[in-house]
Amino acid sequence: MADTPISEEEFQKFREFFYRKTGIQFESSKRYFVDKRLVERIEATGNDTFRSYFTMLRFQASGEELQQLTNLMTVNETYFFREEYQFKCLVDSILPEIVARKSSRSPIRIWVIPSSSGEEPYSIALYLLEHWAGINDWDIEIISSDIDTRILAQARQGLYSQRAIQQLPVRMLQKYFSRVGDGYQLCDDIRSAVEFTRVNLSERADTRAYRNFDIVFCRNLLIYFDDISRKTAAETFYDALNPGGFILLGHSESMSRISSLYKVRKFPEAIVYQRSLETR
Amino acid sequence: MKRILIVDDAATVRLFHRAILESAGYAVDEAVNGIEALEKALQSTFDLYLVDVNMPKLDGYGFLRELRGSELPQAPAIMISTEAGARDEQLAYAAGANAYLVKPTRPERLLLLVRMLIGEVPA
Amino acid sequence: MAFIKKSPGSETLAHEERRFARDCAGLALELESADASERRWAARDLADCPDASALLLSRLQREDDASVRELILSTLTRLGDEVAVLGLVNCLRSENAALRNEAIECMKQLPDEVAPIMQCLLADADADVRIFAVNVLESLCHPEVESWLIQVIESDAQVNVCATAVDLLGEVGSAAARDALLRLKARFADEPYMQFATDLALKRLAAN
Repeated sequence: MADTPISEEEFQKFREFFYRKTGIQFESSKRYFVDKRLVERIEATGNDTFRSYFTMLRFQASGEELQQLTNLMTVNETYFFREEYQFKCLVDSILPEIVARKSSRSPIRIWVIPSSSGEEPYSIALYLLEHWAGINDWDIEIISSDIDTRILAQARQGLYSQRAIQQLPVRMLQKYFSRVGDGYQLCDDIRSAVEFTRVNLSERADTRAYRNFDIVFCRNLLIYFDDISRKTAAETFYDALNPGGFILLGHSESMSRISSLYKVRKFPEAIVYQRSLETR
Repeated sequence: MKRILIVDDAATVRLFHRAILESAGYAVDEAVNGIEALEKALQSTFDLYLVDVNMPKLDGYGFLRELRGSELPQAPAIMISTEAGARDEQLAYAAGANAYLVKPTRPERLLLLVRMLIGEVPA
Repeated sequence: MAFIKKSPGSETLAHEERRFARDCAGLALELESADASERRWAARDLADCPDASALLLSRLQREDDASVRELILSTLTRLGDEVAVLGLVNCLRSENAALRNEAIECMKQLPDEVAPIMQCLLADADADVRIFAVNVLESLCHPEVESWLIQVIESDAQVNVCATAVDLLGEVGSAAARDALLRLKARFADEPYMQFATDLALKRLAAN
């Protein structure tokens, strides 16, 4: 580590580049955190200097290294009730708007991608059951997709470790889970509330059938895509959503680096993006 | 302290404008394009916007039109462009700018406009 | 319980109305549909058709729905053929600022296709086109990028073209750019911005 120190000017250069690409801004106080991860990647990629590494980072056609580095710079763990404020936003702000606009009693459709091991879509089901009065009046469809079929099987199974459930109130844990060995098994009622499907977001043939959603949750995925794939994904969501439909991204993600298709909406709990009402 | 949002995709330009404005006692925040500027405007209040014309995703005209058409608290905006043409200046005013500056920025001209638009007119 | 399980396509696909055949002639027609959603799907699917770039460029000029424009530009980027690239270059001259900036973004995604015409763009009579060309250079992985930028700051008379090049040199420049930056600083000695920008770039070169 000692032989690849990063100078102040290099840090500034990197900071501006990373902000431009991802929208993530590091304060100078984060210097140590950033340097440590940069040095780790410089060494892992066999570069001798920050300069050669930075050139690779900027120009690599696949964008792979930028994704690797973004992975390191952002904490990407999935667990139940992660970024809970967005679920609160869903219940307090988004669903009331959607319900007020619905002309029929057709189900409210939510697409959750990526499903990962299921914590995201199940969290939404649990949160709605516990916190949304409208659950008694409205039908909800939750469809959750992932590109990885192994992870889909795991999601369907609904068996979790202590780490995945630690944010859940004990009361909910007791109500919806049972102990199996040193893990926690989600009950069948919740497991059957979510439909899991395999989707490659970059494949038109895969995504064409996904239409008429009111809400898309796509948290902490696009930030790891290259520019074109990320834009394609945003375009896919646009046609998957009903006019006026909403998309929720992860806390460190911003549509401002991806696409200009959506309107920015601010609710008390969160910033979300909306397909405009009038367009078709 | 009055707050100013600098909206420009060029990092050096943002740094330059930040240096001028901070040394004159303003608090500054930055955005790299019109969409990020709207996000910032939704999250906090600014007393003035300093807006570049050409930017990716949402350009300066688009940002000002969205801002002016929204229910967000309004604040004066200075449009900064590389073009000295009358056409562009008209477009800027039509989009909702309150002043038009041609790059490269002269610090004293920028501060004069900022002070005037923010309402700090010298006695 | 109010949760319903149903496979995503079961209802939606059945509902889907296909007024146009998905062959290339059908897609060309659909690109002119009155329905923006149909135009977006045509713009996507045309990617698999020959001569798609010309069709898409022609629609782009008339298209006023931003969502359709975005899809057209994405497909043009994916195609990246000569027709698409030249069409994007023409967009740089458009009166429409949004279209100009969209074209720059697409061209940034096509470094290999844009590189051969870069010198031509950097010598364009229109200073704005030269600025846009420097913007595109930001993403160009080409051994000549630094020498092109040096050439710009040595020879371009327009201060804003030089300013844009300096911004980028601060990020990609090496010691080879030092003398040219010093000469530029002297050439625009009475421009405070240029003094600031060249000093910053020089400091960042020195860091290497």
